[in-house]
This record gives sequence, structure tokens and C-alpha cells, in this order.
Amino acid sequence: MTAVDGVSFEVDRGETVGIVGESGSGKTMTALSILRLVPEPGRITAGRILFGEKDVVHMTDEEIREFRGADVAMIFQDPMTSLNPVLKVGFQVEEAMAAHNRFTRGQAHDRVIPMLQRVRIPDAPARVRDYPHQFSGGMRQRAMIAMGLSNEPSLLIADEPTTALDVTVQASIIELLRDLNREMGAAVILITHNMSVIASLCQRVIVMYAGRIVEEGPTRAIFKNPEHPYTWSLLRSIPRVDERTHEKLVSISGLPPDLSNPPPGCRFHPRCRYRVDRCFTDEPDLIDVGASQRARCWVLMRNVLAESKTDR
Amino acid sequence: MAIAALPQPDLAVGAYEMPQQVSLLEDAWNRIRRNRLALVGAGIILLLLCTAAVAALWTPYPVWLQAVGPTYQPPSLAHPLGLDQAGRDILSRIMGGASITVQVGVGSAIIVSLIGIPLGLMAGFYRGWVDTVISFFINIWYGIPDLLVALILVFVLSDALHLIPRGVFVIVLAFSLTRWMDVARLVRGQALALREREFVEAARMSGARDLGILARHILPNALGPIIVQATFAIPAAVLFEAFLSFLGLGLPSPMPSWGAMANDGYHGLDFAPHIALAPTIALSVTLMAFNWLGDGLRDAFDPRMRH
Repeated sequence: MTAVDGVSFEVDRGETVGIVGESGSGKTMTALSILRLVPEPGRITAGRILFGEKDVVHMTDEEIREFRGADVAMIFQDPMTSLNPVLKVGFQVEEAMAAHNRFTRGQAHDRVIPMLQRVRIPDAPARVRDYPHQFSGGMRQRAMIAMGLSNEPSLLIADEPTTALDVTVQASIIELLRDLNREMGAAVILITHNMSVIASLCQRVIVMYAGRIVEEGPTRAIFKNPEHPYTWSLLRSIPRVDERTHEKLVSISGLPPDLSNPPPGCRFHPRCRYRVDRCFTDEPDLIDVGASQRARCWVLMRNVLAESKTDR
Repeated sequence: MAIAALPQPDLAVGAYEMPQQVSLLEDAWNRIRRNRLALVGAGIILLLLCTAAVAALWTPYPVWLQAVGPTYQPPSLAHPLGLDQAGRDILSRIMGGASITVQVGVGSAIIVSLIGIPLGLMAGFYRGWVDTVISFFINIWYGIPDLLVALILVFVLSDALHLIPRGVFVIVLAFSLTRWMDVARLVRGQALALREREFVEAARMSGARDLGILARHILPNALGPIIVQATFAIPAAVLFEAFLSFLGLGLPSPMPSWGAMANDGYHGLDFAPHIALAPTIALSVTLMAFNWLGDGLRDAFDPRMRH
């Protein structure tokens, strides 16, 4: 079974890229591949993952260890379980730095409080001596972000960083990620199934479906003119408060396909309401549909929408 | 979605008292404090430790000195526990025996942990063939009659090859080499469970070395059960030493092992029971104390037992 197939994208220095898709679309596997941490028995069978000039797939064990954490950091969905319950928070942040050669032990020790202040943990000098259970969910996620950024990585992968948090806390974490991206210049890959999070943080979006990229492009363009029916439906499934139109919310019927037995042709065709005959047999390529916007579809929403206009 | 700088709440408000936050150890301490039996056990162990410390410096009579009075003399003011068949002061020998007991118990707990913890950690953390090999040895070792092997070990190491003089150390070694599996198996289970926890995954993703993950993340989280297991190893070792010495295969005379002293008194049970009574009571009370404390610790460290 192939969980992620033909996914190819680039992230520039300091850029924020969002990856959206429903559960099982391969978002997290894509991210784990970047760190070469695909859980067993999974493995990377082909392809390249370039970080600058280096290919992650062919790094030695010591190179990959140094790469993880120092060059690329990752934070997860559930900050409740991602911190070690028996070690003080400050110590854990210090350890994250001590595992790499970027800072000496002394420097690492001195950087802990500034890092916690940077992620806006109130009263950081006192809270470094706290244990994780003394932190709230939002504060733990902040501490995770502090750990992730402590080695000044050039890429931060955030795998659904706000899903487990309260809505109000979500907003402040997103805010924090945006500010840190600006201040520290670390590129961010944000994995989520929440379109509004993407809208508020990312310059570019990658939409994944069934292990493939179905559409990618600048956030603005994708939100304004989604070309793949899947993207279009995703965007129409969110209620909007800023428009007075009373468009019906769209739901996408059916379930994502079983990847051990993917449908022939376009992988979205069983659930697509705009499918044509060709969709059943041939899989489309990612084609350019606008300025740096690409979609994997034979039909494209612009044609659907134009048709419905002429019909009227 | 954007939220401008949120006003920070004033945390220093009024008279409301924040609920007290407790750490794992504080929590465990709070619970063990309410456990009477465990406290009694701890008290007895404390007394044992003090006695052992005192005995190292001073005993009323030298433990080996014979004929300080008539043999088989029952308890008297001068000799509160009486004299044994060689006319040695039993109180002095009980005190000396406490010292030996502490050495055997603590030494065994340490060596058992030193063998069991690394093996268990490796088996549980690396799984695969490492686990297969280590688990194989654990199971084989369980199948071997430990007392027999320990006897042979003591005999071979001390008497046949003269590698280690017959004494506390060889007993501790023989015990540890035959009883390390409990700790190893426990630690293996803990490591197996803990390696799947997200903070271990997170550590791996931030490029932590295996040794760092084991030392910082897995071992500290397994410490509670390890302490309990080590506490239970102490009475087992103490009993083991007493048993060997009772058979005359443990500590050589005139070392004041409680087991050897029980054997001394065994022959005079019908006319001078105080000789056997003193060491057996001391031994029983010590064993019970460690088991009570061990039970108390197990309950205190078990999160499911909370309140």
C-alpha cells in the first residue's frame, strides 16, 4: 500500500506552507518522511527529500540525528502527552539544545528562559522549574514550540498544533507561530485540516487527497479560485461570517478511498460531483492553472462554474 | 482570526488560595504516610539501620569474643539477650548481624538493579533480536533452581577457586546472579510501554540519542516500579543469606550472621531457647518490615490506587 505517492513540493527559507487534507490523506506521513521517521513497517521506497543540497533519504544515522531537531523541528497535535511528565519543563528545553552541537551546555542553560519568554509563557523565570502537569494545554504547546525552536532550525513542521486546544488558545498559538516565523525566519510547514488556520498563517497551500497533491498554490489564489473540485468543496464546507450570501454548505459525501486498493483514474472521482468519463480511467497530472497554482483535475472548477452560468 | 496583544490577567488577585500542586514523590509520600503498616515497617528499618551503624563502631562485647560468661547463660542484666553455646554475648552478635543484614540487603538490591535495569531497558527499547535474546535468558534463568545454582556459585568462587573470600560479597553476588530477572522483566515491560509514549517520539524527532532517551525519558518514568521491586529484593536477599548461613554454607564463623546464630541455638533449643530465639525474631521482624514497606511503596507509586 502506498500512503504517499508523487508528492513533490518546495519550501523556501522563511516561507509558511500549509498542507490540508482529511484524515488519512497522507499529510502526517509526508511530514514524517521529511524526518525519515515513518513508523514501522512503513518505509520510504523511492524519491528524494532535499534539504539544501543534502538528501535526507541517504543521510547516515549521525547526520539524520543532527538533522532532526537542529535543522528541522516538529511539534505535534497533543501537547498533553508530548512532554515528559517527570522532568521539569526548563530542563526539557535545555536537553533539546544539549542533544545538538549548536550551543554549549552553558549557553543552552542561559537560553531556556529567553526561549520561554519568546513563546510568551508568563512569568517564565519561575515557570522553568515547573513540571508539565503544572502547565495548561496552551502553555505546554508553547513549551513544545520553544523546544522545537531552541536550536534555531530552518524548518518547523507543525502537525495539527492547535487541534487539541481550546478555540481561544488556538488563535493565540497561531498568532505565536506567525510572529516567530517573522522574527526567527524559520520556514513553517503547517499540517492541518482546518482551512481557517491556513488562511491566517500560510502563504502557500498544498491540498492532499488519498496520498496525492490535488491542488497547490498561493493561499489567496486557492481561496479565491479553487480549481480542484475537492478544494472547492472543502472551502464550501465552512460557514462564512463575512459574506451575506446564503449559499448552502457543501458536504463531501462518501469516504476517502482505501489506499491498499485505490480507485482507477482520478482518486477523487468516486466522490466528485463534476466527474466526466475520463475521470474513471485516466489519472490527471498536476497542471498549471494560474500563476504558480496547479491542480490535478480534468475538469477544473472554472469550467464547471462557467458552464453553470451559461445554463442560467 | 488575528488577536491583538491579549491583556495579561492579574495573577496576584485577592485572597483566593491556589490549590497546592504536588509532585509524584510528594504524592507518594502523602499516601505512604497514611499507611500505618508501611510506617511501622519504615520505623523498624530505620532502627535496623541505626543498629547496624552503631554496631560498625561499637558493640557491648566483641562479636567473636568467647567465654565472656558461662555458656548457655540465659538473659541477665549484664547480658540482656544471654550468652550462646560458646559464651559469646548474643546482643552484641545480633547488632553485628544487623550490620551484615544491611550490607547483604542493600548490596543485593544495588547489584540486582545494576544487572536488571540495563538488560531490561535494552530488551524493551530495542525490541527485535535484542529482546529475543535477553528474554530467552530471563526465561531460562527462571527455570533454573536458583538456590542450587547460588550454592554452587558460592562454593566454586570461594572454596574451589578461591577467587573471592567467603563473605558478604560472594553471597550478594550469588544472590544477584540468580535473581536479576525480576527487575529485568519489570524494566523491560516498562520500557516497552514507555517507548511508545509521545514524549519519547518527540525526543526522537528532536534528534535525541538513544542513550539520552533511555536515561532521560524511559528510566525516570520507570523509577517508581523499580524502587518497589528493589525493595522486595532486599528481604529476599536477607533470607537467602540467613538460609545459606543456617546450612553452614554462607558466612563463616565467627561472623555474626543471624542464620548461623539460629543454627547455633538449634542444638540447644530444649534447654536454652534464647540462643535461637533472638536471631529468628530479629530476622522475622526485619523481613516483615521490608515487605510492609514494599507493599506500601507499591501502593503509593501506583496511580490507580490514588484516593
